[in-house]
Amino acid sequence: MKRLFIVAAVATLLPLGAQAQTADELAKGASDTKNVLNYGMGYNLQRYSTLTQINKESAKRLVPVWNYSYDDNRSEESQPLVYNGVVYVTTNSATMAIDAKTGHQLWKTKVEYPPETPRIVCCGIINRGAALYDGKVFRTTLDANVVALDAKTGKELWKQNAINFKDGYSMTVAPLVADGVVITGISGAEFGTRLFIDGWDPATGKHLWRTYTVPAKGEPGSDTWAGDSWQHGGGSTWITGSFDPELHTVYWGIGNPGPFNAAVRKGDNLYTDSILALDPQSGKIKWHYQFTPNDPFDYDSVAEMVLADIKVGGKPTKVVMDANRNGFFYVLDRTNGKLLAANKYVKVTWADKIDMKTGRPVETDVAAKARAGEKVVVYPAILGGKNWEPMSFDPKTGYAYANTLNFGGHYKAIPVDYKAGDWYVGMDLSDIWEWPQGPRGYLKAIDPLTGKAKWEQPSDLPRFSGVLSTAGGVVFSGQLTGEFEAFDADTGKKLWHFQTGSGIEGQPVTWEQDGVQYVAVSSGIGGVYSLFSGDERLKNIPAGGSLWVFALQK
Amino acid sequence: MTGYRGWATLGVAALSAVSSMAAAQTGGDHPDPAQVQHGKMLYADHCSHCHGFNMVSAGNVTFDLRTFPRDQRERFFESVTNGRDNRMPPWGDVLTQDEIGDIWAYVCTGGK
Repeated sequence: MKRLFIVAAVATLLPLGAQAQTADELAKGASDTKNVLNYGMGYNLQRYSTLTQINKESAKRLVPVWNYSYDDNRSEESQPLVYNGVVYVTTNSATMAIDAKTGHQLWKTKVEYPPETPRIVCCGIINRGAALYDGKVFRTTLDANVVALDAKTGKELWKQNAINFKDGYSMTVAPLVADGVVITGISGAEFGTRLFIDGWDPATGKHLWRTYTVPAKGEPGSDTWAGDSWQHGGGSTWITGSFDPELHTVYWGIGNPGPFNAAVRKGDNLYTDSILALDPQSGKIKWHYQFTPNDPFDYDSVAEMVLADIKVGGKPTKVVMDANRNGFFYVLDRTNGKLLAANKYVKVTWADKIDMKTGRPVETDVAAKARAGEKVVVYPAILGGKNWEPMSFDPKTGYAYANTLNFGGHYKAIPVDYKAGDWYVGMDLSDIWEWPQGPRGYLKAIDPLTGKAKWEQPSDLPRFSGVLSTAGGVVFSGQLTGEFEAFDADTGKKLWHFQTGSGIEGQPVTWEQDGVQYVAVSSGIGGVYSLFSGDERLKNIPAGGSLWVFALQK
Repeated sequence: MTGYRGWATLGVAALSAVSSMAAAQTGGDHPDPAQVQHGKMLYADHCSHCHGFNMVSAGNVTFDLRTFPRDQRERFFESVTNGRDNRMPPWGDVLTQDEIGDIWAYVCTGGK
């Protein structure tokens, strides 16, 4: 009888144990080669794996193992997660669990949002992925809900609405679980919204805190907004932050101010185009650093804040690094926000340099003319020197591998009126691109401290895929024309590619199961470049989302 | 006085509606330039973030409106008002039928 009871108790506990992702597991995610537990393949967002089975010599033997249809023809920017042999992945319209070895679907839970929702989504109908914790899968939805599903069954456990989407708010961000709190960001700076970061209780969905990225009247930083301009000040938070568990600090990039026309919001406009260091349990701001004060050019700074421990001036330093849309590559001391380096990594004409004493840009005549209302040609364009597509940092080579953009823009500010739920941009959008003759993008190996590239791989159409690097000396990325590619991390030489059938805007990941190293990436075109560039060379790239998984041919 | 002005306004509105219908029903071959200009502004605010600036689009993700059949005005009004295939959102509660007519006049120019 007693033995029976023990067996029953163990049987009850086992499924839970197999499904529960603990805080400790999440903290060790960057070195866990059997799973992919975090957005960014680790709290540090380095997107680096120590696996070496796929390496410079063997990469040419990569072959597809399986393909899984998303039954969705929107942009597929989601990063897959992997836990105990199960792949968890999202689209705008569903959350799915797939057997990592066979590609068989284990469950699929649809997301239904009101048909009006795409009206307020600026830059593609997408979702960027899930978070795993304590047997649950957390995700956001386009109509601004945060949802928890049972990781084993896909059953919805709780759903919380962050805000009324109709006023211009949407959610595409993959949540972050840090110090036991589910943290989410939000989009909508092009619709005259005022944005924020939220903390939620993973067990119940209870709302724990909200930190606005634009302070209200009377709050610290509110004197950086003229008049009532803060009310429509933007400051999106749509890319997942990084987390240092030892410092109990989350690092979150903040988006552009609204509207683009900077004249209507005089002042520095904190905390737009900034990095915020936050306490994950309270949402309290520990420190901030602003990249582009009073930004006219949509130099949104939401993109990944990558953590690394590197030598600066010979001294081991805990840093946070950012290839900013404004064209400068920043390295900051992540313990206090002190600026350590800021160098151009692409062509930049709006500023000469960053003043290392004040941390502020030294603006050029181009910026002065734009601010005075003249039409100017400016580099980078509104899509930035690098857009949202996440870079990888290889601690072995010390280089950041990033898909950079090689085109400028035309900028002219125009008057704008606010109306809830409408575009609130204040920029002439009828003629905005300055295209080069040759390649529009380069995959670059960038020295974080100088911004200089060790090598660069051009592409006629810019790459908008995430980047993955491995200890095998291989860098993975994808093309809008569908090729999934592998490069030599030291030289940039192309080692292998495979046509995935649609354009790649996804985020490659790698893991090992039963002695085999797998690499996975989502394919499916429909993001910001395909919508806004007017690049008609894309007309023969079909939409259609799916997940590809590769391994070496036996 | 008030009544007179009211009638005058109504008259102008009626004329505008007639010209709008005429332009739309002829497939927008000779649309009123002011109507096209207004349609272009409405397009920039409501349509461009899916269908492309100046209507230039590769057409692989969203409909290339430059290829929309100009003899299918009703289909255009139906799609814009009520949405389509759970992809195109409905705009009937945001845009008036006159405004949709102005966008139709702009669409009929092919963005040129």
